[in-house]
Amino acid sequence: MTSDERGQALVESLVLGMLLIIPIVWVLMVLADVHRSALATTSAAREAGFDAARSGDLTAAAKSVERTAELALANHGLDGGEANVRWSAPDGLERGARIEVHVAYPVSVMRFPFLGEVSGPSIWVRSTHIARVDPFASR
Amino acid sequence: MTTEERGSALVESIVAIVFLILLSLGVAQLALTLYGRNVVIASAHEGARAATELGRSEQEAEAIALRTTRSASGSLVDDLEIDVLTEPAGEDDLIIVRLSGRLAAVGPVPITIPVEVQASSLRLGEVE
Repeated sequence: MTSDERGQALVESLVLGMLLIIPIVWVLMVLADVHRSALATTSAAREAGFDAARSGDLTAAAKSVERTAELALANHGLDGGEANVRWSAPDGLERGARIEVHVAYPVSVMRFPFLGEVSGPSIWVRSTHIARVDPFASR
Repeated sequence: MTTEERGSALVESIVAIVFLILLSLGVAQLALTLYGRNVVIASAHEGARAATELGRSEQEAEAIALRTTRSASGSLVDDLEIDVLTEPAGEDDLIIVRLSGRLAAVGPVPITIPVEVQASSLRLGEVE
């Protein structure tokens, strides 16, 4: 080992460590967003189903689903406009009717420091909730 | 390799290993912080949602929101403060839960991170 080589291994280790940290932090950020989106879509689907089941008719139910899902996503810091919210229910919303709500949200995997998310491939986080109209509800 | 060089390599290895360990623990702390922040956001939302049940007063709403938040976030958050507001929104009431606290230090860096979130939920004025 010459005097020039002394300290080189240390510098290499530090550089390698710093290079490794970049993809690890990137993966962590994406995973954190996936986690947040999973919590948000679960809440949105559950609460939208709950509110739809309490609505008097399909028009009111549609309004409830849209409003509740958007609010739940916004509470988690997500843009409701990017979400894909679908729901289905039988005509009339009779007692015991089954209401199915699907919420999907794209989590972008392309992000950069100071720039944030940019368009690119996404991971779709999906959640489904099935609610039933109260069998003893007044209709 | 002389005796002096042997010692130099050892010191370099130790410094590099300590640095990499600290780096790994920092990454672990970042992961736990991100997780904690998500849990706090979700628990504030759950609190707001729980507070919208029919027949709840604002005090009950605050107690429910606080209990829900505390049980969901556990020891992740210190100095938890919660504020529940009710604002009219047409025929409905908008329940707003403001939650602030400090994410506990769980990793090698002994600093706590302030977190402040707000969640809202609609209390339907009239069930059709």
